[in-house]
Amino acid sequence: MDSAHSSDQGAEPVFSPHKLLIAGGFAVGKTTMVSAISEVRPLLTEEKLTTASIGHDDLDGVPGKTTTTVALDYGRITLSSQLVLYLFGVPGQERFWFMWDELAYGALGAVVLADVRRLDDSFPSVNYFESRELPFVIALNCFDGAPRYDEDEVRDALDLDPGVPVVLCDARQLASVKQVLITLVEHVAARRAQWAAAQAAAARSAGPRVPPASSAAITGR
Amino acid sequence: MTAVPPRESWKRHTSGPVVRPYAVTGGRTEPADGEMLDLIAVVVATSKAGGGGGDASRRSPEHRKIVDLALAPTTVADIASGTALPVGVVRVLLADLVMLGAVKVVRQRPAREMPSDDLLREILNGLRAL
Repeated sequence: MDSAHSSDQGAEPVFSPHKLLIAGGFAVGKTTMVSAISEVRPLLTEEKLTTASIGHDDLDGVPGKTTTTVALDYGRITLSSQLVLYLFGVPGQERFWFMWDELAYGALGAVVLADVRRLDDSFPSVNYFESRELPFVIALNCFDGAPRYDEDEVRDALDLDPGVPVVLCDARQLASVKQVLITLVEHVAARRAQWAAAQAAAARSAGPRVPPASSAAITGR
Repeated sequence: MTAVPPRESWKRHTSGPVVRPYAVTGGRTEPADGEMLDLIAVVVATSKAGGGGGDASRRSPEHRKIVDLALAPTTVADIASGTALPVGVVRVLLADLVMLGAVKVVRQRPAREMPSDDLLREILNGLRAL
């Protein structure tokens, strides 16, 4: 079959779902993007209220209420019988930050969908993924009539690290969205290569002083 | 634009009967085993799930629906979507089923470590072939 990557789990094929996040400001086209490449289904999450939502979710008169319902978009892309990508549209407003950690946990990477007319709406997403060291790409959704910006101008405006890809896209078009996701996964692979090189360099400079316990953890012995 | 009605008119005494999401869990909001399954945690029904033993009588229609959806390995997100129940409710019901032995958790969370080169290559090939 197509189990190209080595798996010691025995003969049974292993179902392998992976998360990608689609983030960005309000009404920037996240739902459009997810639905261009996958079948979108609604997902209700019932989230605990934290101080992050106080002032937004009116709790007057409902003192016992400690959860709130948030609807997320999610879509599946089935790449093979085992390999499935799950796209989650992440609500960008700050009041939903309390659920980002869960969504981001173990995610491969994220797309920050941005509208050049409202670039500042993408600041929270960019800040979040930078702080969590989650690889991300900026996808500029080319709305009809939106001014075309130079990639470098956008990079400056968002104060991006030089390695972060910036791509133009049309969130309505499968081919365009597919290219955004390919760019993201290539970026994840590049980050992985950098990380592996840094690990190797650190191991060399540390030399024989690396305690046996930690080297065993790294090699999985 | 019409004037926004005062908020008081939307207080729950006047908003009519609503089935609260946690009604199907008997009011429980935390999974009985304390495990917070990830959205893409993988679960699957076990061979014990189908039997009409004593355990089955303790299960609600929602429990049975979850078992049906998990006959092949599936994720928490897919079960939540398939049952139209909030994720938090699905977590509580899944914990019940795990404790009954009707469902087992194949993978609790996605790995936090860097993905392997092989996996990334496989994903890229898959995306390019779309």
